[in-house]
Amino acid sequence: MGNGHKNNDSRAAANSVGVDRRTFLKTTAAGAGLATVAGCLGGGSDEGVTLGALYITSGFASLYGEEAERGYELAADEINDDGGIDGEEVTIISRDTEADATTAGRQLRSLIEEENVDGLFGLDSSGVAQALAPQVAQFQMPFMATHAATPFLTSPEGEHEDSVGNDYVFRNANNLAQDIYGAARTAEELDATEWATIGPDYAFGYQTWDYFQAFCEGLDVDAEFTAEQFPGLETGDYSPYISSIMDADPDGVITPLWGADLTTFLGQAENAGWFDQIDYTLFSVGMGTDLPADGSPLVEGEHASTRYDPFVPDSDENNSFRERYTDEYDTLPTYNAEGAYRAVYMYKEAIESAGSTGSDDLVDAFTGMEHSGPVGDYQFNEETNQATVPSIWGTVSYDDEWESNVLDPVEVYEATPDVINDALGDSDLPSGV
Amino acid sequence: MINTIAFIGLSDVINGLSLGSRLFLIAVGLSLIFGVLGVLNFAHGAFYMIGAYVALAVTNNLVDNFWLAVLLGATAVGIIGVLIEVGTIRPLYGRLDGDLDQLIVTFGFVLITHEAIRLIWGSKSYSLDPPAVLDFPVSIGGSSFTAYRLFVIGAAFVVMVGLWVFITKTYFGSLVRGTSSDREMASILGVDVPRLYTGVFFLGSFLAGLGGALAAPLQSISPGLGEQVIIDAFIIVVIGGLGSLSGAFVGAMFVGTLQAIGPKFMAAGHVAIPFLAMVLVLLFRPEGLFGGFGE
Repeated sequence: MGNGHKNNDSRAAANSVGVDRRTFLKTTAAGAGLATVAGCLGGGSDEGVTLGALYITSGFASLYGEEAERGYELAADEINDDGGIDGEEVTIISRDTEADATTAGRQLRSLIEEENVDGLFGLDSSGVAQALAPQVAQFQMPFMATHAATPFLTSPEGEHEDSVGNDYVFRNANNLAQDIYGAARTAEELDATEWATIGPDYAFGYQTWDYFQAFCEGLDVDAEFTAEQFPGLETGDYSPYISSIMDADPDGVITPLWGADLTTFLGQAENAGWFDQIDYTLFSVGMGTDLPADGSPLVEGEHASTRYDPFVPDSDENNSFRERYTDEYDTLPTYNAEGAYRAVYMYKEAIESAGSTGSDDLVDAFTGMEHSGPVGDYQFNEETNQATVPSIWGTVSYDDEWESNVLDPVEVYEATPDVINDALGDSDLPSGV
Repeated sequence: MINTIAFIGLSDVINGLSLGSRLFLIAVGLSLIFGVLGVLNFAHGAFYMIGAYVALAVTNNLVDNFWLAVLLGATAVGIIGVLIEVGTIRPLYGRLDGDLDQLIVTFGFVLITHEAIRLIWGSKSYSLDPPAVLDFPVSIGGSSFTAYRLFVIGAAFVVMVGLWVFITKTYFGSLVRGTSSDREMASILGVDVPRLYTGVFFLGSFLAGLGGALAAPLQSISPGLGEQVIIDAFIIVVIGGLGSLSGAFVGAMFVGTLQAIGPKFMAAGHVAIPFLAMVLVLLFRPEGLFGGFGE
C-alpha cells in the first residue's frame, strides 16, 4: 500500500491555493481514493509494481551486483512479457549499497520514501544486512534477502545478543549455518584433522569459523583447529596471511573470502605453493560469482559450495531457467543471479495471492510460504522467515561443454531446522534456520 | 585474537621487505615533495594507483612488454604530476593559507582520479602477471616466493641508493638540498626555484608511478588502491620523519615488517599496529626517527 505521502502532498497543495472548504474536502477525498487504488497495485507510482533492489554494484564485490541484476532483469522481463503481476508491469529500481551499512541505509530510505517501492530485495554483505534489518522493521516494508548469509539476520531478535530477525525480513537463500553445516559434513569425509581459516575481517569471516568449529564438534568430526587469519576487505597483498597459514601447515583450510578478494587471494596462494602444501581448501563462497566461468582461478579438485547449482535439482524448472539464462547472458547462472530472479517471482506470487501490494499483506503471504523455483521446492520457517533450502557442496571441476567450472561430484545436504540446530551441539550460536 | 602460532621466520622477513619496498617507493616521493616544496600531496596515493593502471593498460592494450609498461607508467605519472604542480599548486605557493589550499587541491585530485579510474576501467579488480623472466618460484627458508617479489625488494634498494647518490653527490642534488633549506637564499643566488620545484615534483610523482607499476603484479588493481597506500605512506613519513630520505626507507621497511609479522601474533586487529607505532613515535620523537631532508 502507499505510505500516505501523496495524501499529505495533495492537502498541502490545496491549502496553498486558497480553495474553499468544500472543494478542499472533495479534492482530498478524491485524492485519497485514487491513492488507495493506486496503492493497492503499484505502490507509489500511478500504476505498476515497483520493487527496490539493494546490491553491491561498485568496488571489490561489484560482480555480485552485476550477477543479481542479470537475474532480476530476466525475471522482470519474463513476468512483463507474460502479462505482468496481476496485469501490472513490474519495475525494478536498483541502488548500490557500496558494501557499506550507512550507504545501504540511505538507499533503503530513499527507495521507500522517494521511490515508494512496494517491496525490497537484495543485500550481499552480512554486516550490512545486520545493520539494515532494524530499519526494515521500522519502515514495516517486506525485505527478501537473497544473499547476505549471517544466521543472525533470521535469528529472531532476543534469541542472541546479535540477533536482528523480525517479521519483515525474509531470506530465500540458504544461510551461513546451513552452508557451513554442509562444510562440516564435507570435512567429515576428508582425510584431514587439522583445520585453519582465512576469512575477511568482519562478521562473515568470524562467523564462518565459529560455525565451522561448532558444527565439527556437534557432528563429532575428528578435527583440531589451528591457525586463523582475518585480512581486511580489499587487501591487495595476502602474502603475510598466506605465509602465516602455510607455516601452521594445516591439512585443510576453510575460506569464506569472496568477490575480488577471493580472486586476488587465489592467484597469490597459487604462487606461494598453497595448493601443493595444503591438502584441502574449502571455498564457502567459491561458486558465488563468475569465478566458475572460463579462465577462473578456482583450483580444480578443491571443494566449494553454492546456494544454488545450475544442474541441481535436475528439474524442468531448473533446466528451463538455466537455458533461458544462458541464452540471454551466454554464461551459467550463479547463485546470486538465481536468488534475485526468484525474489521477483516470489513477490509476484505473494502479490497475486494477496491481491494487494500492502506491506502487511505481503508479509502475511511470505510467512510460511511454500515456493518452487530453480533451486527446488522449499518452505519458509514461520519462526525465522528462513527458507529451508539445502546446502550444496562439491568438487571444483572444469566442464568442457559449458566451458565453465562446475561442481562435480556434487553433494546436496538437505537438513531440517531441527537437524541443523542439533548439529550445532552445545554451542550458543543460533542457526537462524 | 591471539594466534597460537607465533614465531618469525625468514619468510616473514622477506614478506616484510617486499611490502616495505613498494611502500618505500610511494613514501619517498611523498617525503621528497614535502621536504623540498613543503607540499603535503594527498594525491600521491592516486599517483601510485595511476602508475598501476597505466602499466595494466599498456600491457593489455598497447604492447605486451612489462618493462616498457613500468617505464611508461612511471613517466605518465611524472607528467601528470608536473601538470598538476604547474597548473594548480604553483599559484598557491605565495598564499597565506597555502598549506590548507594545497591540501584541498590535492585531495580534489584524489576524488577526480578515483572517478576517472572508475569511468575508464570500472570498479572491477584487475591483476597483472609478472614478467615471464621473473615468473618462477624461489624457495627460501621452506617458503616459496616468486622471483619477481625478490626483484621488487632489490629494485627498492637500488632506488634508495640511486636517490642518495643523486641528492648528496650531484649538482642538482645540492640545489635541491639548498633550496629545501632556504628557498629565498637559493633564489637570490640564481636558482630557478619554480623550475626546480617542478623537477622535484616530477621526480616524486615518477617514483609513485614507478611504485604502482612495479607493485601491480603483487597485488590487485582496483579504484581503492590509492586510498590504501596513502595511509601507509603517511604513517611511514611520520615515523621516519617528514622530508627524510633515509627516514622514508627505514620507516617503509619497519611498517612493511610490522604488516608481515602482525598476522602471526594477532589474527585480527593487527592493522592497528603501524598506527600504534606512529603514535609512539609522535609522542616521544615528534620530528620522526630521522630529521631533515637528505639525511
